[in-house]
Amino acid sequence: MVESIKIILTIFKKDLYSELRTRYALNALLMFVITTLSIILFSIGNESVSPELLSGVLWIIIFFSTMSGLSRTFVSEEERGTVMTLHLIAKPLKIYFGKLLFNLALLLGLNIFTVALYLLFVTSFSVGNYAIFITTIILGTLGLASGSTIIAAIIAKANTKGTLYPVLSFPILLPLLLTVINATKLSVENALFAEALGEFQILFSYLIVLTVISFLLFEFIWKE
Amino acid sequence: MFEFFSQNALYIVMSIVLIGWVGIFWYLLRLDKKMNKIEKMFKE
Amino acid sequence: MAFKLILGAWLSIILIVGFSFPITTNPTNWYDLPFVPGLEDKARILFFHVPMAWVTTLAFIISLIYGIKYLTKKNLDYDIISSSSAGLGMMFCVLATVTGSLWAKFTWGSFWNWDPRETSIFVLLLIYGAYFALRSAIDGDEKKATLSAVYAIIAGITVPFFIFIMPRIVEGLHPNEAIVSQGKISMNKTMLVIFLSSLAAFTGLFFWILNLKVRAARLESKYYLKGE
Repeated sequence: MVESIKIILTIFKKDLYSELRTRYALNALLMFVITTLSIILFSIGNESVSPELLSGVLWIIIFFSTMSGLSRTFVSEEERGTVMTLHLIAKPLKIYFGKLLFNLALLLGLNIFTVALYLLFVTSFSVGNYAIFITTIILGTLGLASGSTIIAAIIAKANTKGTLYPVLSFPILLPLLLTVINATKLSVENALFAEALGEFQILFSYLIVLTVISFLLFEFIWKE
Repeated sequence: MFEFFSQNALYIVMSIVLIGWVGIFWYLLRLDKKMNKIEKMFKE
Repeated sequence: MAFKLILGAWLSIILIVGFSFPITTNPTNWYDLPFVPGLEDKARILFFHVPMAWVTTLAFIISLIYGIKYLTKKNLDYDIISSSSAGLGMMFCVLATVTGSLWAKFTWGSFWNWDPRETSIFVLLLIYGAYFALRSAIDGDEKKATLSAVYAIIAGITVPFFIFIMPRIVEGLHPNEAIVSQGKISMNKTMLVIFLSSLAAFTGLFFWILNLKVRAARLESKYYLKGE
């Protein structure tokens, strides 16, 4: 148990260091968020937009930045030809969890950045209940990372990687997106924490189901 | 007869759909037979 | 052969009966169909649209089962069944979506309303589309079979979530919800019998076309084996 956690952490660290050295995904992603946000700010202009609508827009930014960034984890291994080496050093499940951890860290950093910018610059978006808002962001990030990691593993084996990623991910992430948008709306409307409990239950069970099924199926993808 | 049909448009729709279905059914039946033949050819 | 002729006759009878039995406000004769306010003759969609939606779901489940079988046994024949079933399911999904949308325009006022069931069939359509996009992007039969089976399973797992999510977002518009809220079920015995036999007929039709498709795909793979 301790041994496998060590291996998972090693894979996580390897990805983290190589990312920090090359900044391949990070720089592009930060620029992506800034670009998208400025387009939204330009299009809003001086109009007053309802905060309910803006809570949907926030998740549109997060969804598309996830789609442009997270496919890299497995694709880069495939492109650099390091898949065989990974096959040798670790069992599939450990690789999956190492990659999941890295994607989670990347997405969490990205989402904190996005949400901070969003709260600062989109003035008509004001959160009423921060407890709901923060829980939604955290659970949403966990679910997005879990769903997009397994799809990224599938994508790495296909020919047209970039365009296929959002196509495959959208139907799977749709339950998550609908729920987080609903929960964000509740946080804007300053609802009680208990009112959003149903949303959190759905998010939590979604996270568990998707992680377990990825855990069971990853071996089949990895061995291909 | 003609008067009855011109007053009840539903029956015209019914016959059109029915003819369409009979055509599809006939086609499927032919396809099934052809498939049997080709399968036999492959076995030889 | 006999089965197929019976199926042909059966669906023909359902078409005749489904279109021609009169809808009356006070059903007394055995052939009378009940009158539903706001639906009138449009209620007849029940006999054709609902079986299509049912076949869409059935096709997805069969595709899923054979996908799982492929993953455990690694026999490419299971993948042939799985992908053929998905292909047929996609066709029925398009039919169900288009017929439902056309009907919705004249009953609910617009072609698309994001009613819970409309959403779930839309998601199913997206999944079918993604499934075939994935299949066309992978080289090698075994790789294609494994990855598409895995994708079908992951996608299938997320669909039931909509049952819990959609009622929280929009209210249902589908007729059965409207009927239940009135406190009585307005489908009488005749209607139920026609509906159930239509379900059975469409299921039979689906399995027949699936059988043809699977046989054609098997012949194709045999041909390539011979050629090499």
